[in-house]
Amino acid sequence: MQVMKTPRNVDIAITSFCNLHCTYCSHFSGPGDVKEDLPLETWLQFITELGHSNTMKIILSGGEPFSRPDLREIILAIVANRMRFTILSNGTLIDNEIAAFLAATRRCDLVQVSIDGAIDTTHDAFRGKGNFMKAIDGIRALQGNHLPVSVRVTIHRKNVHELEAIARYLLEDLELQSFSTNSASHMGLCRKNAAQTQLTIDEHSLAMETLLALTDKYKGRINASAGPLAEAQSWLEMEDSRRENRERPAGRGFLTGCSGPMQTIAVRADGVIVPCSQLCHLSLGRINEDDLGEIWRGHPVLQSMRKRSRISLENFPFCQDCPYTSYCTGNCPAIAYSLTGKINHPSPDACLRQFLAQGGRLPEVTQI
Amino acid sequence: MNEHNKHNKKAVIANPLVVLREEFDDGAILFDPETGNTFGVNPIGVLVWKHLDGRHSLDDIAEIVRVKAEAVPSDVISHIGNFVQAAIDLGLAGYEVKS
Repeated sequence: MQVMKTPRNVDIAITSFCNLHCTYCSHFSGPGDVKEDLPLETWLQFITELGHSNTMKIILSGGEPFSRPDLREIILAIVANRMRFTILSNGTLIDNEIAAFLAATRRCDLVQVSIDGAIDTTHDAFRGKGNFMKAIDGIRALQGNHLPVSVRVTIHRKNVHELEAIARYLLEDLELQSFSTNSASHMGLCRKNAAQTQLTIDEHSLAMETLLALTDKYKGRINASAGPLAEAQSWLEMEDSRRENRERPAGRGFLTGCSGPMQTIAVRADGVIVPCSQLCHLSLGRINEDDLGEIWRGHPVLQSMRKRSRISLENFPFCQDCPYTSYCTGNCPAIAYSLTGKINHPSPDACLRQFLAQGGRLPEVTQI
Repeated sequence: MNEHNKHNKKAVIANPLVVLREEFDDGAILFDPETGNTFGVNPIGVLVWKHLDGRHSLDDIAEIVRVKAEAVPSDVISHIGNFVQAAIDLGLAGYEVKS
């Protein structure tokens, strides 16, 4: 596969600071959790370089991007350098004034706000008291300024029984166009709070069943690229394929679970360039010191990651005798690394065979 | 001089906000950051785009294409005209307004 001359998208953690400290946060306690943020001038210089390399979109994350007092200057630099932006936020620091500013730029693709409950006690259980209402106020400010806004629901042990109410609240009461889901996964703070936050096998099964039914009810409005919903959709397809002994589909049977390094690169809050915000330990260089285009095209780590898709799952003892090997992608390399210490390994976290062996059940699609 | 020929003598200028991303040796995209829209462009399109500078007419650009590209069809001017007209219709290019 050909590699683009420069990345289309760049994920930038513009700050390591966050006003919240969520129990399952993937940022804190990981290698991206750096102690000092970079000054504005350093980011402006880098954004100019991105403009010259014809990057199209910057995804601003953190930490909490709205905690930076100079966020407006960063966004104005993105606009001046002919790019668009998306912001990933906890929503609690968004008010009408900043929302109006974002709208006026006409370059905002999306503000994604994290909401984990239909009521404050559920959301605040792991995010801190009072933050549900602040985040909802933030969403309303964005909506009031006609900005594209979406919600990410992280499914965990305290909201897994509330998924129907969450969908109803987000899609009917708040009238959001859509929301996405994932689940608390084995990264950052979640590693030490796993028992408290990560779904048990039974809860995982319940989440899959409920979410699948909700996607039927709210057609096209609930999506996921990881977590129980994505797994339910993928695993049902894999099970059908196994039962009918289908041919191996293109792109299956190899480590094809991530195409990120073909389009996107990331930068930590301290300016270290990494392949992905979830693989922050893999330093590729430093902004304004190393040439981004050279790193993108030639860094051995990126080149190696781009070749993952040539590694057959049959090579792994982990996959031996698995009836799903021909239909599997090996899933997320970052979670694979977090659990096994290896990037070039299938992720045990999203392994259908292991899920079933532990007593998990595939959903029977029901209507709500 | 007929209308068609007059049109071919006018110089078109690319919208300076639009980004040409030459992603691969054999392909590029035009990205309009105002709308977020992208448009695929082949190598001849890239050559044409790079000469939408307000100084080259379509006739000039057709001549450049004939020199630099291989197997250029005899009606290349009409292909270039269609490409440029599509770019104008999409807001990616326009005629310079004299002040």
